Amino acid sequence: MQVNEQLLTHLENLSYLKVSEDKRQEIINQLSQIVSFVDNLSQLDTNSIDETFTMTNQATYLREDEPMCDSDINTNIIKHAPRTENNFFIVPKIIE
Amino acid sequence: MITLKEALTLDDNKISKLKEQLKKSIESDAQLNAYIDIQNVGDGVPIAIKDNIQVKEWSVTSGSNILQGYIAPYNATVITKLLQSGLSPFGRTNMDEFAMGSTTESSFYGKTLNPKNRDCVPGGSSGGSAAAVAAGLAVAALGSDTGGSIRQPAAFCGIVGMKPTYGRVSRYGLGAYASSLDQIGPITQNVEDAAILYDIISGYDTKDSTSANVRYKKVSNMLNPDRKLRIAVLPKYIKDASADVQKAYNDTVEALSKDGHTIVEKEMEDPKYDISAYYITATAEAATNLARYDGIRYGNQKTGNNLEELYVKTRSEGFGDEVKRRIMLGNFVLSSGYYDAYYVKAQKVRHLIKDNYAKIFKNVDLILSPVAPDTAYKFGALHNPLDMYLSDIYTISINLAGLPAISLPVANASNGMPIGLQLIANAFDEQTLFDGAMSLERLMGY
Repeated sequence: MQVNEQLLTHLENLSYLKVSEDKRQEIINQLSQIVSFVDNLSQLDTNSIDETFTMTNQATYLREDEPMCDSDINTNIIKHAPRTENNFFIVPKIIE
Repeated sequence: MITLKEALTLDDNKISKLKEQLKKSIESDAQLNAYIDIQNVGDGVPIAIKDNIQVKEWSVTSGSNILQGYIAPYNATVITKLLQSGLSPFGRTNMDEFAMGSTTESSFYGKTLNPKNRDCVPGGSSGGSAAAVAAGLAVAALGSDTGGSIRQPAAFCGIVGMKPTYGRVSRYGLGAYASSLDQIGPITQNVEDAAILYDIISGYDTKDSTSANVRYKKVSNMLNPDRKLRIAVLPKYIKDASADVQKAYNDTVEALSKDGHTIVEKEMEDPKYDISAYYITATAEAATNLARYDGIRYGNQKTGNNLEELYVKTRSEGFGDEVKRRIMLGNFVLSSGYYDAYYVKAQKVRHLIKDNYAKIFKNVDLILSPVAPDTAYKFGALHNPLDMYLSDIYTISINLAGLPAISLPVANASNGMPIGLQLIANAFDEQTLFDGAMSLERLMGY
């Protein structure tokens, strides 16, 4: 399968990434090469196989509904965060 | 370098001298670049830690620019276990950015050299941990293995690297790359040290929802290299390996047979399908896991006029090329219109891979396989991403099936570089894995 400029733009939007002008053709070629390679899976017959795969058969672990919190983690994250004020993270204005 | 087993018998005074000595040696060989920096916690035996395992109050950055400024606010479960067992996190080792690579060349901190030949890569992604142990700059180290990232650098550097069964070692505090494939494991000078370190870090942990709640028995005090095992060999499967690797493989099979092990020939599916299933699964999970790096709560924030611009600038400038490629590939295989053909198809193929291993293990105790198709590459040799992905042919199916495996050196190639082979065991049968590895280690006398 061939990746084109339109698909690359779509993937950038999904990924919150911007590929610079000088690298666009190179990455289009690389992604096309990789996607074409992984297309080999279509050679395998998987019609009767379950489409979900989990590493263990055990159910997700459930714990008692008791508070478990290391509040030091919050303090330390806030302390080292890029921009904070009064225990809040600062983000650019999102409501006009 | 003193082994881990010996180091665990040292008194505090001697351990402290060992650490001073280590620090001097590491600083005097800064060119190797195995370590990012050297910090220490506690007064135990020093263990080098890959830069994606949380050590409280350390800068832990997964080898990435985007995590500059982040300070780990808690210990990973494996670190808590080290500290409880008289070991100390000592030094942060270099790695491919977010563990995405096979050479450690993609690190924000520059490349690590292979101590056996400094023109070659140490392998990856745990290249710093492997180079540190191989250069005599660490007693032992922790790495992480998503598609061979412990076993391949161990093979390239001529030491031992072990990937536990999925769920055996808690992933709590491991920087996530591909959650259904990642496992933390030991990188050591010999098989017995690997068993000792594996015993220390493994066990059920309620903080990791994928941790296996199964009974755990220590393996290091039960090691038996005299056990005679049924070992599967794969004559067709090794055809993609270099002549040197094939020769080492065949010599090893002969030695195992002479030693009294039963050799059984088996077949595996063409590994090209493993590559596809792996790179679809791993990139899909990576795209999801790495969505958290938005620059708001931690790490290296770039400024923008609005929130979206801040996200895009932070991520575009913070992530390296390989990470960006994998995030975009992951979003491609998960996106509307392609999801069934790629992501779902890969999950179905994982069933085939797992079932094929299960079939082989009905009849044998272990499987012997190459680790990599060749010895350590020269820097820059795997410049094309697809070529790098193809170099993972022998390691990734083990992660896709969640099995334990251990890589150990068996011979030197004609170019003087070490060749590692791996033994693979059935899920949760680490005892047999280590017994077989000890037997092989003794036989080959590397």
